[in-house]
Amino acid sequence: MSGKKIECKEAMNYVCQSLGEDLNSEKCAAIKTHLEECVGCKNYFKSVEITIDCYRKYNVEIPEDAHNRLMKFLDLEE
Amino acid sequence: MDEKKLIADAQSGDKKALAEVVKNYEQTIYNFAFKICRDRDKAEQIMQETFYSMIKSLHQFDGKSKLSTWLYRIVTNHCLMLARKLKSRQFVSIDDEEGLFEEKYTADWSSIPYKGAENKELREKLDNAIKKLAPEYRMIFLLRDVEGLSTEETAQVSELTVPAVKSRLHRARAFLRKELNEAFIK
Repeated sequence: MSGKKIECKEAMNYVCQSLGEDLNSEKCAAIKTHLEECVGCKNYFKSVEITIDCYRKYNVEIPEDAHNRLMKFLDLEE
Repeated sequence: MDEKKLIADAQSGDKKALAEVVKNYEQTIYNFAFKICRDRDKAEQIMQETFYSMIKSLHQFDGKSKLSTWLYRIVTNHCLMLARKLKSRQFVSIDDEEGLFEEKYTADWSSIPYKGAENKELREKLDNAIKKLAPEYRMIFLLRDVEGLSTEETAQVSELTVPAVKSRLHRARAFLRKELNEAFIK
């Protein structure tokens, strides 16, 4: 590790950039260490995850009449 | 039935197979269109246009990519076209990253009742936040983080480079988090 101290702002930026990406780089190791020690950044990391999770769980079902109108519009009614 | 066979049958004019393809993807397309425009009527209109375009150009589908990736591309284009046509909303500019990573935004979200997005109040907050995000950013966030496409697939669908996708994605994540943080903590 380079030993360079990670600043919070840098950690926050990095969290948003690298979520779901390869987390084995040297920089990532430094960020992980920072996250373990910094409550603010840990909260930040968690809040980005929750943000994504909220949108992932927000789904709508296609109404039956919308399905029927679609099949009629496409001339694919049975 | 195997999807390849179903598509081949649909391409050769089998109406039953075509109806099956539509049925297999209508929920995904409707849901995705809603997530982009946050409006059920517009989502239905986009869904109809998407499948109409699909049928018109199905003969060009060569099976090199997944049908779902191909459909995401069509639906994304229709969403962007509609957004450009309406053009009425002012979106928040996030080209400048400075305001996205202020150190004061370190509130603890552990006590926020976010589980179960069927909560009406939470849904309003999610809608309000994402509506401020320009469609070009919104679609990247939705394709990559919400629909679960890979970065490469997202690039393919959006016709952007992988670095451009990553750049838009991390700004969109930071922006939405910041907006929700303000909405939750208020």
